[in-house]
Formats: sequence, C-alpha cells, structure tokens
Amino acid sequence: MSDSTMTNTMLRKNDLKLKIAVYVVSIAIVLLILLPFVLMMAENVLHPETYTMDSTGRLTKIVYNNVSVINSFKNSMLVTVGATFLNVYFSSLTAYAITAYEWKLKTVFSNLITAFMMLPNTIALIGFYQLTWKFHLINNLMMLILPAVATPLTVFFMRMYLQATFSMSIVESGRLDGASEFRIFNQIVLPMLKPAMATQIIFAFVSNWYNTFVPSIILIDDKAKTLALTPSPEWLLVLPPIIVYLICSRFIVEGVALGSVKT
Amino acid sequence: MKDNRNHIARHYTKWAYIFIIPFVVAFLLFNFYPLVSTFYYAFCDLKHAGNTDPKFLPSIGLPLFKNFAEVFNSTSFKDALRNTFVFWIGATIPEWILAFWLAAMVTDRRLKIKGRWLFKTSFILPQLIASSTAAGTILATISSVIGFIYVAAMIDGFGYTDKDFEFFFSVKFLVIVVYMFMHFGITFIYAVAGITGIPVEVFEAAEMDGADRWKTFFHITVPCMKPIMFFITVISVIDGLAMVEVPSWFGLFDTSRKALTLMQYLQNQAFMGSYIYDRASAASVVLLGLTAVFAGILYFIFLWDKDEAKARKLRKKELKALKKAA
Repeated sequence: MSDSTMTNTMLRKNDLKLKIAVYVVSIAIVLLILLPFVLMMAENVLHPETYTMDSTGRLTKIVYNNVSVINSFKNSMLVTVGATFLNVYFSSLTAYAITAYEWKLKTVFSNLITAFMMLPNTIALIGFYQLTWKFHLINNLMMLILPAVATPLTVFFMRMYLQATFSMSIVESGRLDGASEFRIFNQIVLPMLKPAMATQIIFAFVSNWYNTFVPSIILIDDKAKTLALTPSPEWLLVLPPIIVYLICSRFIVEGVALGSVKT
Repeated sequence: MKDNRNHIARHYTKWAYIFIIPFVVAFLLFNFYPLVSTFYYAFCDLKHAGNTDPKFLPSIGLPLFKNFAEVFNSTSFKDALRNTFVFWIGATIPEWILAFWLAAMVTDRRLKIKGRWLFKTSFILPQLIASSTAAGTILATISSVIGFIYVAAMIDGFGYTDKDFEFFFSVKFLVIVVYMFMHFGITFIYAVAGITGIPVEVFEAAEMDGADRWKTFFHITVPCMKPIMFFITVISVIDGLAMVEVPSWFGLFDTSRKALTLMQYLQNQAFMGSYIYDRASAASVVLLGLTAVFAGILYFIFLWDKDEAKARKLRKKELKALKKAA
C-alpha cells in the first residue's frame, strides 16, 4: 500500500515538472507570435499610411489608392472563395466515389491520387504558363479558380476521414427512402464530413489568399491583380484568413473517431 | 439472389464514374497536360517572353540534353539544390520534435493541459498572416531574442567570440528559423487531430500496463496515426521542396544569393527578366525526379503493407491454380 502511494506521489512530482515545462514552452511561443502581431496591428490601424523600403533601399511612403485596393480585394475574394469551394466540394465528391462504391479502376485511381498528391503543383509551372499564354487566358481569374477542382492532397485527406467514419448502412437507408445518389452525397455524406471540410477550408483559403507565385506570373494587368500582389493596408490583408479560421475552427471536432454519426 | 445483388451493385457503380468526372477532367487539363508539356519543353528550345513555339532540340541540330547539361553545370542550381535540402531538413527536424512533443503533451489525459484553444490559435497564426510585413515583425522579434541570447552568452564569458556565432547571424539560419515558425502550426494541428483520433481505451490499456510516456508515444501513438503521419510528411516534403516565400523575403539582404532555393531558381530562370523557359523546364524535371524518389521512399515507409502484398501474391497463385484446374 505504502509502496504504491510512494510511486504515485513521485509520478505526480514528475508530472508537475513536465506540466510546468509544457506551459513555459507553449506560453513562450505564444508570446513570441502574439506580441509582435498585436503591436503590428495596432500600429497599422493607427497609422495606415506606412513607409517601406523600396528595391534601392530608400524609404518610400506607400499611399493606398482606394480604387485599386477595393478592386484587388474583390479579385482576391472571388479567386479564394471560388477555389476553396471547388477544392473542398469536388475533393469530397471524389473521395466519396472511392470509398462508397466498388468499381473496377478504383484501386488504380486511388493509387494515382496518392502518387500525384506528392508532387508540388509548382513543378508543372512552365507548362501551366505556356497553356495560359497559348489560349490567351492571361489575366483571366478562372485560371486560378478552376484548377482547384483537382486537388489530390485534399482528396487523400477526405478519403482518410471517410474511411474512418463512413458506414454503408447510412447510404443504403437513403437509397431505401428513394433518394438519388447525388442527393445522398449532398444531404447525408457532406454534413458528416464537416470537421474534415473545416480543416481543409482553412488551409485552402489561406494558401489561395496569400498565393503570389502563380498569380504574379499570369496576372499582368493591374485590374486583374489580387490583394497579395497589390500594395494594401496590412490589416485588410490578414483579417479575412483570421476570420475564416475563427469560424471554421469551431467545426473541427477533434479526432476522426469523434466525427462519426451516432446511431 | 446473389445475381440480383450484383445487378444492384452495378446499377450504383456508374455513379462512381460520374462523380469522378470533374476531378479527372480538371486534373488532365490543369495538372497532367502542363506536367507532360513541361517534360517536353525540357528537350526544346523555348526562350523569350511570351514565346509559345517550342522547337525540339535535335530538329534544330542541338544535343537532346542541352538544357539538362546547362542546369547541371550552373553553380546557382547546385547552390539552390543544396540550400533547399539544408533549409528543409534543418527546419523540419526541430519543427517535428517541438510539434509532436507539444501535441502529445497537450493531448495527454494525465497532464490535463488547459488553454489548448489559445495555443492552437497562436501556433497557426503565422500561417494565417503569411504576408511579408507580419512575418517580418515576427522575424524581428525572433532575431532580437536570438541576439539577446548571444549577448548574454558573451557577457557570461564562456570564451565565445563573434566568429563563433557567424552562422547564427547568417541569412541561412534566419530562413530556417522563420520557416520553422511559419510551418510549425500546421504540423501541430494535424498531429493533435491524429492523436485525438486514437481511441482512449488504447491509451488506458497502455497506462495499466505501466508504459511510460516515451514508450506510449513511440509504440502506440505513432503506429496508430500512421495515415496522418504520412499526410504530415507529404505536406512537409511538398512545402519544403517548393519553399520560395520565406527565402525571398530575405532576398533584399541576400545580395550574394546565398539562400537561393530551387523554386526561386526556377522563378528567376523563367520569369524574372530571363524568360529561359527551356532551362527552367529542365530544372522542373530534375525537381520532379527528386520528388519521385522521396515519394517512393515515403510510400514504402508508411503505406506499403508487407503482409497484404504477400497475401495478394498468394491469392494470385491460387487463382492461377484454379484456372489451370478448370
């Protein structure tokens, strides 16, 4: 009896040390990130017109031209919301087709997706750029939105989540009620995927919103430029991703096992 | 009865094909076609802005591998290749140790860490504000903290001089630190999601058997979250090989181009005033080859199921035998 209480108190002491270590490290990182961010935001809101270093190292005053900022904000919103929606919706649909049905090319198809998800899409940049030029799609925002339909990485994530939570009996009950396959996906399967979708929405939104690599190449006209390519107030640039994160993170039910439907 | 079942299954199967149509079409158009054409351009002559008329190298009397030879002979490509790997490995190792340790601790049932929401949101914040100015402010804070440590170390009289710290003031070191900070939140969030997905009973059983944290982590947590580990690794490889933003923020201070990465090399070749599309394509193909090697290694580490492969072989043999018998 006394033996076990002793080991227990020793364990507690070790736990306490570990606990302190975890808090110290976490809070240090939080301060390192939050403090400069809050200071920057305060400075930015108080003095929206800032100075910046230009390429020759001279301090230059940035004057935000309202018309171009509003216009590029609209472009950014269109591209980001469009691409995020297409990415998450069609990735879920593709993942569902792989998980729920038995078809001949299923294994081949899902292996191909696993293979292609490992390639960064910037690898085909020259080909993409040439394609854009050849078909006169320079400055066309659709070239930034439509490719999002095929995102192997998101398909893989959705399939991983579906495999852990999905049960065929839900689909079968839907079929018995006479719902079409498409309707079953939209009304039964999609709501089940909410936690996984929330995760992917955050990352898709952020990566599209700040993407400068491809847009800087195919958006030449000032009118077509996105916010990340235009000199703009910092708070306007960082606010939308933060809002999206705060909304979506509420839906991330932690853990795959928690995401399943209770029957 | 069985025939009927099969018939029903086939009736629904067509929907699988319908559902993947958008993905397949978009993939062929925007991913596969550009990939194949990039491969082709690597063997072509394609220069000058807006040129869309590639000429196959042997057809104009030039050696087939001219572009590849140029790529491998250029010192900036070699620098870029080395830098990319140094940055990626240098940032990923401490990032993973920190992220997985914190994830394991934060989710530990016995520790009962509070404030998880605040930690998660703060850790992901650098990713959410991935713009130059914001990252610059974080960078400034980090470098002043680092500077403070140096000064403290020197005052303390450990016998260190400025020269001992040269590497830590270099652009390369700053790229690694900032990249680690930017990327750490992603790994942490996926790691927490993976660990909380493991049924609690498994941990309880380990606890009962007297396994300590170290053992629990390596023998239970990691094997149980294999798929998400694979996902985290893939993201790390993709983001690492395509690293461009963090190093280019330092472009201003990096006049001798010591921190050039592969993606920046590609960008410089093709778009920053040079418009040498053919050489950039050859560099892309090299990058593709490297990624394929990594992908293969990752596949065998995480997804290759030895027993299943054996079972499949056996099944094939049995089928053959059955056919022969028939």
